[in-house]
Amino acid sequence: MDEARRAALNAWLSQAAGTPVEIGAASLLSGGAIQQNWAISVTRGGAAEEWVLRTDNAATLTVSLPRTAEYALLRAAFSADVTVPEPLFCCEDASIIGAPFFVMRRVPGTATAFRLAKLAAALGGDAELVRHAGKEMARIHSIVPPRDDLAFLGAPPADAGVEFVRAMRERLDAAGTPRPVLEWGLFALERHPVPPLAPVLCHNDFRTGNLMVEGHAVTAVLDWEFAAWGDPHADLGWFCAPCWRFGNLALEAGGLGPRAALLEGYGPAADPSRLPFWELAASIRWAVIAADQGARHLSGQERGLELALTAHIIPELELDILRQVEDLDARSA
Amino acid sequence: MLEAPDAADLLATARDSLLQKLLPALPAHLHYEARMAANAIAIASRAIPADPAPLAARLAELAEDAAGFAARIRAGEFAPGAPRHAEAAALLRDMARLRCSVSAPRALR
Repeated sequence: MDEARRAALNAWLSQAAGTPVEIGAASLLSGGAIQQNWAISVTRGGAAEEWVLRTDNAATLTVSLPRTAEYALLRAAFSADVTVPEPLFCCEDASIIGAPFFVMRRVPGTATAFRLAKLAAALGGDAELVRHAGKEMARIHSIVPPRDDLAFLGAPPADAGVEFVRAMRERLDAAGTPRPVLEWGLFALERHPVPPLAPVLCHNDFRTGNLMVEGHAVTAVLDWEFAAWGDPHADLGWFCAPCWRFGNLALEAGGLGPRAALLEGYGPAADPSRLPFWELAASIRWAVIAADQGARHLSGQERGLELALTAHIIPELELDILRQVEDLDARSA
Repeated sequence: MLEAPDAADLLATARDSLLQKLLPALPAHLHYEARMAANAIAIASRAIPADPAPLAARLAELAEDAAGFAARIRAGEFAPGAPRHAEAAALLRDMARLRCSVSAPRALR
Protein backbone atom coordinates (compact mmCIF):
# COMPACT_ATOMS: atom_id res chain seq x y z
CA MET A 1 0.00 0.00 0.00
CA ASP A 2 1.68 3.24 -1.12
CA GLU A 3 1.63 6.56 0.74
CA ALA A 4 -0.99 8.25 -1.46
CA ARG A 5 -3.42 5.34 -1.01
CA ARG A 6 -2.79 5.20 2.69
CA ALA A 7 -3.53 8.92 3.06
CA ALA A 8 -6.72 8.63 0.99
CA LEU A 9 -7.77 5.61 3.02
CA ASN A 10 -7.07 7.39 6.34
CA ALA A 11 -9.20 10.31 5.22
CA TRP A 12 -12.08 8.13 4.03
CA LEU A 13 -12.08 5.90 7.14
CA SER A 14 -11.94 8.93 9.45
CA GLN A 15 -14.98 10.40 7.76
CA ALA A 16 -16.85 7.07 7.87
CA ALA A 17 -15.99 6.52 11.54
CA GLY A 18 -16.70 10.12 12.53
CA THR A 19 -13.41 10.21 14.41
CA PRO A 20 -9.76 10.23 13.28
CA VAL A 21 -8.58 6.84 11.99
CA GLU A 22 -4.88 6.31 11.39
CA ILE A 23 -3.52 3.17 9.70
CA GLY A 24 -0.31 1.80 11.18
CA ALA A 25 1.01 -1.53 9.97
CA ALA A 26 -0.60 -3.08 6.86
CA SER A 27 0.24 -6.50 5.47
CA LEU A 28 -1.27 -8.65 2.75
CA LEU A 29 -2.83 -11.79 4.21
CA SER A 30 -2.92 -14.98 2.13
CA GLY A 31 -5.96 -14.12 0.04
CA GLY A 32 -8.15 -16.11 -2.32
CA ALA A 33 -7.97 -16.23 -6.10
CA ILE A 34 -10.59 -13.52 -6.31
CA GLN A 35 -9.90 -10.96 -3.63
CA GLN A 36 -7.19 -9.41 -1.50
CA ASN A 37 -7.26 -9.27 2.27
CA TRP A 38 -5.09 -6.80 4.14
CA ALA A 39 -4.46 -6.99 7.86
CA ILE A 40 -4.37 -3.41 9.10
CA SER A 41 -3.60 -2.08 12.55
CA VAL A 42 -5.36 1.21 13.15
CA THR A 43 -6.04 3.72 15.84
CA ARG A 44 -9.65 4.94 15.97
CA GLY A 45 -10.02 8.04 18.09
CA GLY A 46 -6.65 7.16 19.59
CA ALA A 47 -7.54 3.57 20.55
CA ALA A 48 -5.77 0.65 18.86
CA GLU A 49 -7.89 -1.78 16.81
CA GLU A 50 -7.09 -4.68 14.47
CA TRP A 51 -9.02 -4.74 11.18
CA VAL A 52 -9.10 -6.57 7.88
CA LEU A 53 -9.59 -4.68 4.63
CA ARG A 54 -11.07 -6.76 1.82
CA THR A 55 -10.95 -5.74 -1.81
CA ASP A 56 -10.96 -7.25 -5.30
CA ASN A 57 -8.10 -8.63 -7.32
CA ALA A 58 -7.78 -7.34 -10.86
CA ALA A 59 -9.43 -10.41 -12.38
CA THR A 60 -12.72 -11.21 -10.68
CA LEU A 61 -14.85 -14.29 -11.26
CA THR A 62 -18.05 -13.14 -12.86
CA VAL A 63 -20.04 -15.60 -10.75
CA SER A 64 -18.95 -14.06 -7.47
CA LEU A 65 -20.64 -11.12 -5.79
CA PRO A 66 -19.03 -7.67 -5.60
CA ARG A 67 -17.49 -6.52 -2.32
CA THR A 68 -20.45 -4.25 -1.52
CA ALA A 69 -22.86 -7.18 -1.73
CA GLU A 70 -20.56 -9.28 0.42
CA TYR A 71 -20.63 -6.49 3.01
CA ALA A 72 -24.45 -6.52 3.05
CA LEU A 73 -24.37 -10.31 3.56
CA LEU A 74 -21.89 -9.94 6.40
CA ARG A 75 -24.19 -7.42 8.08
CA ALA A 76 -27.19 -9.72 7.66
CA ALA A 77 -25.21 -12.63 9.08
CA PHE A 78 -23.88 -10.55 11.98
CA SER A 79 -27.47 -9.56 12.85
CA ALA A 80 -28.56 -13.23 12.67
CA ASP A 81 -25.89 -14.12 15.28
CA VAL A 82 -23.69 -15.97 12.81
CA THR A 83 -20.11 -15.83 14.04
CA VAL A 84 -18.60 -13.45 11.51
CA PRO A 85 -16.09 -10.62 11.81
CA GLU A 86 -17.98 -7.47 12.73
CA PRO A 87 -18.51 -5.48 9.52
CA LEU A 88 -17.40 -1.87 10.04
CA PHE A 89 -17.42 0.28 6.90
CA CYS A 90 -17.95 -0.24 3.20
CA CYS A 91 -16.65 1.99 0.41
CA GLU A 92 -18.19 1.76 -3.06
CA ASP A 93 -15.93 4.48 -4.44
CA ALA A 94 -13.23 2.77 -6.51
CA SER A 95 -11.07 5.92 -6.56
CA ILE A 96 -9.93 5.62 -2.92
CA ILE A 97 -7.73 2.52 -3.27
CA GLY A 98 -8.46 1.42 -6.85
CA ALA A 99 -11.44 -0.84 -6.16
CA PRO A 100 -14.41 -0.94 -3.79
CA PHE A 101 -13.55 -2.35 -0.38
CA PHE A 102 -14.86 -2.93 3.09
CA VAL A 103 -13.29 -3.23 6.51
CA MET A 104 -14.19 -5.62 9.28
CA ARG A 105 -12.78 -6.43 12.67
CA ARG A 106 -9.97 -9.01 12.66
CA VAL A 107 -10.74 -12.22 14.55
CA PRO A 108 -8.25 -14.66 16.05
CA GLY A 109 -7.77 -18.18 14.74
CA THR A 110 -6.56 -20.10 11.72
CA ALA A 111 -8.44 -21.01 8.57
CA THR A 112 -5.69 -23.10 6.95
CA ALA A 113 -7.53 -26.25 5.93
CA PHE A 114 -4.69 -28.77 6.00
CA ARG A 115 -3.55 -27.57 9.41
CA LEU A 116 -7.07 -27.87 10.85
CA ALA A 117 -7.54 -31.28 9.24
CA LYS A 118 -4.27 -32.46 10.77
CA LEU A 119 -5.26 -31.25 14.23
CA ALA A 120 -8.68 -32.92 13.93
CA ALA A 121 -7.15 -36.19 12.69
CA ALA A 122 -4.81 -36.26 15.70
CA LEU A 123 -7.93 -36.19 17.90
CA GLY A 124 -9.66 -38.88 15.86
CA GLY A 125 -12.15 -36.19 14.85
CA ASP A 126 -13.23 -32.99 16.56
CA ALA A 127 -16.96 -33.50 17.22
CA GLU A 128 -17.19 -30.30 19.25
CA LEU A 129 -15.83 -28.15 16.43
CA VAL A 130 -18.10 -29.80 13.87
CA ARG A 131 -21.17 -29.35 16.10
CA HIS A 132 -20.26 -25.69 16.32
CA ALA A 133 -19.99 -25.53 12.51
CA GLY A 134 -23.47 -27.08 12.23
CA LYS A 135 -24.87 -24.43 14.58
CA GLU A 136 -23.34 -21.66 12.51
CA MET A 137 -24.82 -23.10 9.36
CA ALA A 138 -28.30 -23.27 10.90
CA ARG A 139 -28.01 -19.61 11.91
CA ILE A 140 -27.13 -18.66 8.34
CA HIS A 141 -30.18 -20.59 7.15
CA SER A 142 -32.41 -18.63 9.54
CA ILE A 143 -32.06 -15.77 7.03
CA VAL A 144 -34.93 -16.17 4.56
CA PRO A 145 -36.34 -14.17 1.65
CA PRO A 146 -37.68 -11.65 0.95
CA ARG A 147 -35.05 -9.22 2.22
CA ASP A 148 -34.72 -5.68 0.87
CA ASP A 149 -31.12 -5.48 2.09
CA LEU A 150 -30.27 -8.60 0.05
CA ALA A 151 -32.26 -7.67 -3.07
CA PHE A 152 -29.11 -8.16 -5.21
CA LEU A 153 -29.54 -11.92 -4.69
CA GLY A 154 -32.58 -11.84 -6.97
CA ALA A 155 -35.63 -14.04 -6.66
CA PRO A 156 -35.18 -17.43 -4.99
CA PRO A 157 -35.43 -20.47 -7.28
CA ALA A 158 -38.73 -22.36 -7.18
CA ASP A 159 -36.79 -25.64 -6.99
CA ALA A 160 -33.13 -25.31 -5.99
CA GLY A 161 -32.22 -28.83 -7.18
CA VAL A 162 -33.72 -28.36 -10.64
CA GLU A 163 -32.13 -24.91 -10.87
CA PHE A 164 -28.74 -26.36 -9.92
CA VAL A 165 -28.81 -28.87 -12.78
CA ARG A 166 -29.95 -26.20 -15.24
CA ALA A 167 -27.27 -23.71 -14.17
CA MET A 168 -24.46 -26.28 -14.30
CA ARG A 169 -25.47 -27.40 -17.80
CA GLU A 170 -25.54 -23.80 -18.90
CA ARG A 171 -22.02 -23.27 -17.60
CA LEU A 172 -20.76 -26.46 -19.23
CA ASP A 173 -22.28 -25.40 -22.54
CA ALA A 174 -20.76 -21.93 -22.24
CA ALA A 175 -17.32 -23.43 -21.49
CA GLY A 176 -17.56 -25.66 -24.55
CA THR A 177 -15.39 -28.52 -23.25
CA PRO A 178 -17.33 -31.80 -23.26
CA ARG A 179 -17.39 -33.32 -19.76
CA PRO A 180 -19.09 -36.73 -20.00
CA VAL A 181 -18.60 -37.58 -16.31
CA LEU A 182 -20.15 -34.30 -15.17
CA GLU A 183 -23.08 -34.96 -17.51
CA TRP A 184 -23.36 -38.43 -15.95
CA GLY A 185 -23.57 -36.84 -12.51
CA LEU A 186 -26.09 -34.19 -13.56
CA PHE A 187 -28.26 -36.79 -15.21
CA ALA A 188 -28.21 -38.80 -11.96
CA LEU A 189 -29.36 -35.70 -10.05
CA GLU A 190 -32.19 -35.34 -12.53
CA ARG A 191 -33.14 -39.02 -12.01
CA HIS A 192 -33.12 -38.70 -8.20
CA PRO A 193 -34.71 -35.30 -7.53
CA VAL A 194 -35.24 -33.96 -4.02
CA PRO A 195 -38.57 -32.22 -3.43
CA PRO A 196 -38.14 -28.45 -3.09
CA LEU A 197 -38.00 -26.79 0.34
CA ALA A 198 -38.68 -23.19 1.31
CA PRO A 199 -35.60 -21.20 0.26
CA VAL A 200 -33.04 -19.96 2.78
CA LEU A 201 -29.78 -18.06 2.53
CA CYS A 202 -27.03 -20.50 1.51
CA HIS A 203 -23.43 -19.50 2.07
CA ASN A 204 -22.36 -21.72 -0.86
CA ASP A 205 -18.72 -21.99 0.16
CA PHE A 206 -19.12 -23.18 3.75
CA ARG A 207 -16.17 -25.54 4.04
CA THR A 208 -12.96 -26.18 5.90
CA GLY A 209 -10.66 -23.40 4.72
CA ASN A 210 -13.39 -20.77 4.96
CA LEU A 211 -13.94 -21.25 8.69
CA MET A 212 -11.68 -19.40 11.09
CA VAL A 213 -11.08 -21.71 14.03
CA GLU A 214 -9.54 -21.36 17.46
CA GLY A 215 -9.42 -24.42 19.69
CA HIS A 216 -12.71 -26.25 19.18
CA ALA A 217 -14.67 -23.15 18.21
CA VAL A 218 -15.49 -21.38 14.96
CA THR A 219 -14.33 -17.79 15.37
CA ALA A 220 -15.57 -16.63 11.94
CA VAL A 221 -17.41 -17.86 8.86
CA LEU A 222 -15.54 -16.25 5.96
CA ASP A 223 -15.94 -15.67 2.21
CA TRP A 224 -19.57 -14.81 1.51
CA GLU A 225 -19.17 -14.03 -2.15
CA PHE A 226 -21.08 -17.06 -3.47
CA ALA A 227 -24.11 -16.72 -1.19
CA ALA A 228 -27.54 -17.21 -2.78
CA TRP A 229 -31.09 -18.31 -1.94
CA GLY A 230 -31.38 -22.10 -2.07
CA ASP A 231 -31.82 -25.44 -0.33
CA PRO A 232 -30.11 -25.49 3.10
CA HIS A 233 -28.83 -29.00 2.33
CA ALA A 234 -26.65 -27.52 -0.42
CA ASP A 235 -24.43 -26.08 2.36
CA LEU A 236 -24.49 -29.32 4.38
CA GLY A 237 -23.59 -31.30 1.25
CA TRP A 238 -20.79 -28.90 0.27
CA PHE A 239 -19.24 -29.16 3.75
CA CYS A 240 -19.42 -32.99 3.70
CA ALA A 241 -18.39 -33.64 0.06
CA PRO A 242 -15.33 -35.91 -0.29
CA CYS A 243 -13.37 -33.15 -2.06
CA TRP A 244 -13.42 -30.94 1.05
CA ARG A 245 -12.09 -33.49 3.55
CA PHE A 246 -8.44 -32.58 3.10
CA GLY A 247 -7.10 -36.12 3.29
CA ASN A 248 -9.35 -37.20 6.21
CA LEU A 249 -11.86 -39.18 4.15
CA ALA A 250 -13.32 -40.92 7.20
CA LEU A 251 -14.07 -37.60 8.90
CA GLU A 252 -17.05 -36.92 6.69
CA ALA A 253 -17.86 -33.45 7.98
CA GLY A 254 -15.19 -31.31 6.32
CA GLY A 255 -12.36 -33.67 7.23
CA LEU A 256 -12.81 -32.39 10.78
CA GLY A 257 -15.34 -34.65 12.48
CA PRO A 258 -18.24 -37.06 12.20
CA ARG A 259 -21.22 -36.20 10.05
CA ALA A 260 -23.57 -37.06 12.92
CA ALA A 261 -22.05 -34.27 15.04
CA LEU A 262 -22.55 -31.74 12.24
CA LEU A 263 -26.21 -32.73 11.89
CA GLU A 264 -26.66 -32.67 15.65
CA GLY A 265 -25.24 -29.15 15.84
CA TYR A 266 -27.43 -28.12 12.92
CA GLY A 267 -30.62 -29.35 14.53
CA PRO A 268 -33.77 -31.19 13.48
CA ALA A 269 -34.25 -29.27 10.21
CA ALA A 270 -31.44 -31.29 8.61
CA ASP A 271 -32.75 -34.19 6.52
CA PRO A 272 -29.91 -36.69 5.97
CA SER A 273 -31.79 -38.32 3.10
CA ARG A 274 -31.19 -35.18 1.01
CA LEU A 275 -27.42 -35.23 1.51
CA PRO A 276 -26.42 -37.75 -1.20
CA PHE A 277 -28.06 -35.48 -3.79
CA TRP A 278 -26.31 -32.35 -2.52
CA GLU A 279 -22.95 -34.03 -1.95
CA LEU A 280 -22.96 -35.20 -5.56
CA ALA A 281 -24.02 -31.68 -6.55
CA ALA A 282 -21.02 -30.36 -4.57
CA SER A 283 -18.52 -32.52 -6.48
CA ILE A 284 -20.05 -31.44 -9.78
CA ARG A 285 -20.07 -27.78 -8.80
CA TRP A 286 -16.42 -27.79 -7.71
CA ALA A 287 -15.48 -29.54 -10.97
CA VAL A 288 -17.34 -26.90 -13.00
CA ILE A 289 -15.62 -24.10 -11.04
CA ALA A 290 -12.22 -25.79 -11.48
CA ALA A 291 -12.88 -26.14 -15.22
CA ASP A 292 -13.72 -22.45 -15.46
CA GLN A 293 -10.54 -21.54 -13.59
CA GLY A 294 -8.46 -23.73 -15.90
CA ALA A 295 -10.16 -22.08 -18.86
CA ARG A 296 -9.05 -18.66 -17.63
CA HIS A 297 -5.48 -19.90 -17.94
CA LEU A 298 -6.02 -21.70 -21.25
CA SER A 299 -7.72 -18.70 -22.86
CA GLY A 300 -4.79 -16.46 -21.98
CA GLN A 301 -7.14 -14.24 -19.97
CA GLU A 302 -5.10 -14.81 -16.84
CA ARG A 303 -2.22 -17.23 -17.18
CA GLY A 304 -0.69 -18.74 -14.07
CA LEU A 305 0.28 -21.95 -12.31
CA GLU A 306 -2.49 -21.91 -9.73
CA LEU A 307 -5.27 -21.71 -12.32
CA ALA A 308 -3.51 -24.24 -14.57
CA LEU A 309 -3.20 -26.76 -11.72
CA THR A 310 -6.78 -26.24 -10.59
CA ALA A 311 -7.94 -27.87 -13.82
CA HIS A 312 -6.00 -30.99 -12.81
CA ILE A 313 -8.24 -31.41 -9.76
CA ILE A 314 -11.09 -32.38 -12.09
CA PRO A 315 -10.13 -36.04 -12.75
CA GLU A 316 -10.18 -36.83 -9.02
CA LEU A 317 -13.58 -35.15 -8.73
CA GLU A 318 -14.75 -37.32 -11.62
CA LEU A 319 -13.87 -40.46 -9.66
CA ASP A 320 -15.84 -39.05 -6.71
CA ILE A 321 -18.79 -38.29 -8.98
CA LEU A 322 -18.88 -41.79 -10.48
CA ARG A 323 -18.84 -43.34 -6.99
CA GLN A 324 -21.52 -40.94 -5.75
CA VAL A 325 -23.78 -41.77 -8.71
CA GLU A 326 -23.42 -45.48 -7.88
CA ASP A 327 -24.33 -44.76 -4.24
CA LEU A 328 -27.32 -42.69 -5.23
CA ASP A 329 -28.56 -45.45 -7.55
CA ALA A 330 -27.95 -48.14 -4.91
CA ARG A 331 -29.93 -46.21 -2.29
CA SER A 332 -32.98 -45.92 -4.44
CA ALA A 333 -32.72 -49.42 -5.96
CA MET B 1 16.61 -39.17 -33.74
CA LEU B 2 16.28 -37.00 -30.64
CA GLU B 3 19.11 -36.48 -28.20
CA ALA B 4 19.04 -38.14 -24.81
CA PRO B 5 18.24 -37.53 -21.97
CA ASP B 6 14.65 -37.60 -23.14
CA ALA B 7 11.74 -35.44 -21.99
CA ALA B 8 10.87 -37.64 -19.01
CA ASP B 9 14.45 -37.66 -17.76
CA LEU B 10 14.82 -33.88 -18.18
CA LEU B 11 11.58 -33.17 -16.36
CA ALA B 12 12.53 -35.48 -13.48
CA THR B 13 15.97 -33.90 -13.23
CA ALA B 14 14.58 -30.37 -13.34
CA ARG B 15 12.04 -31.25 -10.64
CA ASP B 16 14.76 -32.64 -8.36
CA SER B 17 16.79 -29.50 -8.87
CA LEU B 18 13.78 -27.30 -8.10
CA LEU B 19 12.83 -29.14 -4.91
CA GLN B 20 16.28 -29.96 -3.56
CA LYS B 21 18.44 -26.99 -4.59
CA LEU B 22 16.21 -24.05 -5.44
CA LEU B 23 13.36 -24.39 -2.94
CA PRO B 24 15.54 -24.26 0.20
CA ALA B 25 17.21 -21.09 -1.12
CA LEU B 26 13.93 -19.32 -1.88
CA PRO B 27 12.26 -16.90 0.55
CA ALA B 28 9.23 -18.40 2.31
CA HIS B 29 6.65 -16.43 0.32
CA LEU B 30 7.80 -18.17 -2.90
CA HIS B 31 7.69 -21.74 -1.54
CA TYR B 32 4.09 -22.27 -2.56
CA GLU B 33 4.79 -21.14 -6.14
CA ALA B 34 7.86 -23.41 -6.29
CA ARG B 35 5.86 -26.38 -5.02
CA MET B 36 3.20 -25.69 -7.61
CA ALA B 37 5.91 -25.64 -10.30
CA ALA B 38 7.20 -29.00 -9.04
CA ASN B 39 3.64 -30.36 -9.13
CA ALA B 40 3.17 -29.12 -12.71
CA ILE B 41 6.39 -30.88 -13.76
CA ALA B 42 5.20 -34.10 -12.10
CA ILE B 43 1.88 -33.99 -13.95
CA ALA B 44 3.63 -33.32 -17.25
CA SER B 45 5.99 -36.27 -16.60
CA ARG B 46 3.10 -38.64 -15.94
CA ALA B 47 1.36 -37.47 -19.11
CA ILE B 48 4.21 -38.75 -21.29
CA PRO B 49 3.42 -42.50 -21.03
CA ALA B 50 -0.37 -42.04 -20.80
CA ASP B 51 -2.07 -43.52 -23.85
CA PRO B 52 -5.68 -42.47 -24.41
CA ALA B 53 -5.90 -44.33 -27.77
CA PRO B 54 -7.56 -47.55 -26.48
CA LEU B 55 -10.19 -45.54 -24.62
CA ALA B 56 -10.74 -43.29 -27.63
CA ALA B 57 -11.46 -46.45 -29.65
CA ARG B 58 -14.04 -47.58 -27.08
CA LEU B 59 -15.54 -44.10 -27.07
CA ALA B 60 -15.91 -44.29 -30.86
CA GLU B 61 -18.01 -47.44 -30.36
CA LEU B 62 -20.50 -45.50 -28.23
CA ALA B 63 -20.63 -42.03 -29.78
CA GLU B 64 -19.10 -39.89 -32.49
CA ASP B 65 -16.71 -38.12 -30.10
CA ALA B 66 -16.48 -36.80 -26.51
CA ALA B 67 -18.97 -34.02 -27.26
CA GLY B 68 -21.40 -36.53 -28.75
CA PHE B 69 -20.93 -38.83 -25.75
CA ALA B 70 -21.64 -35.95 -23.35
CA ALA B 71 -24.73 -34.92 -25.29
CA ARG B 72 -26.07 -38.49 -25.41
CA ILE B 73 -25.58 -38.91 -21.66
CA ARG B 74 -27.50 -35.68 -21.07
CA ALA B 75 -30.27 -36.89 -23.37
CA GLY B 76 -30.62 -40.06 -21.28
CA GLU B 77 -29.38 -42.49 -23.90
CA PHE B 78 -27.26 -44.39 -21.32
CA ALA B 79 -29.73 -44.26 -18.43
CA PRO B 80 -29.87 -47.26 -16.08
CA GLY B 81 -31.83 -49.94 -17.89
CA ALA B 82 -30.71 -48.77 -21.34
CA PRO B 83 -28.89 -51.48 -23.35
CA ARG B 84 -25.49 -49.74 -23.27
CA HIS B 85 -25.67 -48.34 -19.72
CA ALA B 86 -23.02 -50.67 -18.27
CA GLU B 87 -20.71 -50.13 -21.23
CA ALA B 88 -20.94 -46.36 -20.86
CA ALA B 89 -20.41 -46.55 -17.08
CA ALA B 90 -17.32 -48.73 -17.52
CA LEU B 91 -15.86 -46.39 -20.14
CA LEU B 92 -16.42 -43.33 -17.93
CA ARG B 93 -14.72 -45.09 -15.04
CA ASP B 94 -11.72 -46.09 -17.16
CA MET B 95 -11.45 -42.60 -18.64
CA ALA B 96 -11.53 -41.03 -15.18
CA ARG B 97 -8.91 -43.51 -13.98
CA LEU B 98 -6.59 -42.74 -16.89
CA ARG B 99 -7.05 -39.00 -16.30
CA CYS B 100 -6.32 -39.51 -12.58
CA SER B 101 -3.18 -41.51 -13.35
CA VAL B 102 -1.80 -38.27 -14.82
CA SER B 103 -3.44 -35.55 -12.71
CA ALA B 104 -3.94 -37.17 -9.29
CA PRO B 105 -2.47 -40.68 -8.98
CA ARG B 106 -3.02 -40.71 -5.22
CA ALA B 107 -6.76 -40.82 -5.88
CA LEU B 108 -6.30 -44.27 -7.43
CA ARG B 109 -4.93 -45.86 -4.27
